[in-house]
Parts: sequence; C-alpha cells; structure tokens
Amino acid sequence: MAGLLPRADVLIAIMGAPHTGDLVTSAFRLSQALLARGARVHLWTCGHATGLTRQALGPAKPRNVVDWAREYPTTAALAAELLAAFPTTLHWYACRFCSQERGADAHIPGIRLRAPFKFTEHLDAADKAFFLGVC
Amino acid sequence: MAEYLLVESQGSYAGPGAEAFLGDAVRLARAGHGVAVLLIENGVTEGLAAAGPAVGRVLAAGGEVWADAFSLDQRALSAQRLAPGVRAVEMDEVAERLLRPGVRGVWH
Repeated sequence: MAGLLPRADVLIAIMGAPHTGDLVTSAFRLSQALLARGARVHLWTCGHATGLTRQALGPAKPRNVVDWAREYPTTAALAAELLAAFPTTLHWYACRFCSQERGADAHIPGIRLRAPFKFTEHLDAADKAFFLGVC
Repeated sequence: MAEYLLVESQGSYAGPGAEAFLGDAVRLARAGHGVAVLLIENGVTEGLAAAGPAVGRVLAAGGEVWADAFSLDQRALSAQRLAPGVRAVEMDEVAERLLRPGVRGVWH
C-alpha cells in the first residue's frame, strides 16, 4: 500500500497543539529548509494541528490593533505558499478523524485527508520520520 | 554506530523532561554514537553560559550542541551569551544534518 504514496526523504508529523508555542514556526522553517535542499517532504498534521490548513482561516489574520496597516498571513496561506513553491516535493496530509472531530475537514486545496490508520503507510514511505509534539 | 540529531525545544523551565532528554544525549555519546543536540524555541535557554550543567555534560561526552539562531534572536539572546562549545546555527545546517543517510532525528 505504501507504493501508492510518493516516496519521502522526511516525514514531519506535527502532533502538538499549534498555538501553545513556536512549534508551527519551527515546522515551517524546517520544512522549507529541507525542501530548499531538494528533499522530498511529507507533512502530516494530527489533533489540533489539522486546523493549520482550514479553508475558513482565509488568507490573512484579523487585524492587529497596534499595527493596523500590516497584514499577517494565516497558517493556511503559508501552507498554500509552501505547496505552490514546491509542488512536486511537498505533500501535505491531514488526519481525517482529527479534522472531522474538530469540524475542520474543509482544507485549502492541496491538503489530502487520510484515515489515521493509514499513518503507518506514511512511515513506510519515508526514509525518516520526525515527530513534533504530542497529540 | 548510529548518528542522532536530538532536538530540545522546551528547556528546563517546562519541567524535568529537558534534563532527562539531554541525559539521553550524554548516554548515547558515551556509547560511541554520533550525537548532535539542537536547542530550539525555549530550549535555547539551556545553551546559555548561565544555565545548568546538562549541556556541558553533552559536550564533555563528545556530542555537539547547537543553538537555533532564529530562536535566540526571537528571545533577544545574543550568541555571545552561549556556553563555550555551543554553536549558533541556521536551519539550513539542521536540514543538511537531518538528510545525511543514517541520521535519526528525535524531537522533544
């Protein structure tokens, strides 16, 4: 079954809640650095991290009242940018169960929903796996 | 012998996990494995000269210790405040190490 998935050099599984620290920033930075080196990367989000790519987030965060003119991109916009920059080497998957449990299964284009029990296929498809945080 | 990239992201302020994780790094290095520890996010505070002895033990055991330059900047910490032997690195160097064949990455 793993043959159905593209091969990856690194699988980055974002398991931790994304808004409790700098985890998402680190995940984006590491992914970008790997991709810039030509690596094939799979990203898998679980738990609250599935909300990173919700369509409902839109392109920009609500305005910052102390910096009214500046526009801050949402994580969904950053994900879309990363997917557009590396269309053949980045594959982003979101856990279907975690997404649906949170009403977050409407993701931006490019995000594939996968059943949680398919996760082992992703482990098989990647040369190494990196787990960020705990679900 | 295996090669490890161990990433400490929490630091000792978040609980005893960081010291235990760095202890694992010491044991792996003493066992002859290649060990690089990356301190990132709040974990960079472990690399400061004024921090506890955990990082020094990793270095003494033969491991490398890196501090993420971006995380230092975000916390207004100068690289000059790092303990001797701890090196500030960019994410590109981390990616290069992780992509080396046989390197196993563990995030804490």
